Amino acid sequence: MSLTAWVLVIISQLALVAGQIFLKRAMSRREHGGEKARGWIGTLTIGIATMTVWFLLWLGVMHQVELSKLMPLEGISPLLIVLGAAVFLRERLNWRGWAGVGLTCVGVLLVSAS
Amino acid sequence: MHDQMPATSLPKPAPGLFWNPFLQIFLTVLLTAAAQILLKVGADYSAANDSVWSWLGVAELGSWWTWAGILAFVASFGGWLYALRFLPLGLAFALTNGVHIFVPLGSWLFLGEHISLLRGSGICVIIAGILLLAQSVAKVEEKV
Repeated sequence: MSLTAWVLVIISQLALVAGQIFLKRAMSRREHGGEKARGWIGTLTIGIATMTVWFLLWLGVMHQVELSKLMPLEGISPLLIVLGAAVFLRERLNWRGWAGVGLTCVGVLLVSAS
Repeated sequence: MHDQMPATSLPKPAPGLFWNPFLQIFLTVLLTAAAQILLKVGADYSAANDSVWSWLGVAELGSWWTWAGILAFVASFGGWLYALRFLPLGLAFALTNGVHIFVPLGSWLFLGEHISLLRGSGICVIIAGILLLAQSVAKVEEKV
């Protein structure tokens, strides 16, 4: 995989994590109501825009790189989201949650590789 | 190991089964899987269509299957946003991996595609992962 492809893959995965965090922030703000709810539509728009960037970058990468090389990255995306949510949203998982995320990652890898 | 975000700090959904965020995640997964299959059928339709448009990827839009797929995607996004109001992102996102169970199953049922041993094993591992995630939620709710 070329350096450009690697950079695009990393940016697309960062966009996926950031987009989902923005969507979660927007919906949590909306749900809490009051002063906190102000600007939730703006956050939602940023989330949708970031997810669009992810989608377009991912499509671009798929044109350049063999699918078999991209599969492992699709498998680790749930893990990246959990880590992103832990850092930026202070979400915590118990050991069952971590084991569940790990197993789903492995399962996605197996399904993608078949 | 830290505990998961306590359920008490999360907002409560409206009463009624339909408004249960876990049911909404399940519907999101089903709609996304349906969308993937409908788009595949739409793409096959355009592949059979030998016009210039089929080379530009626009021909898919001439199929009702494609439009049904797009509609299913939009509806699934609505369910996803609703679930995010009530569930932690990491947990909700991991549960959406159920798509990787229903797409192969739907492709086998409706498109006649083969499920290999490797794919079948992957599906079983994902089911085990989702069961563990569900158990982790149940444990947290039990504590609360």
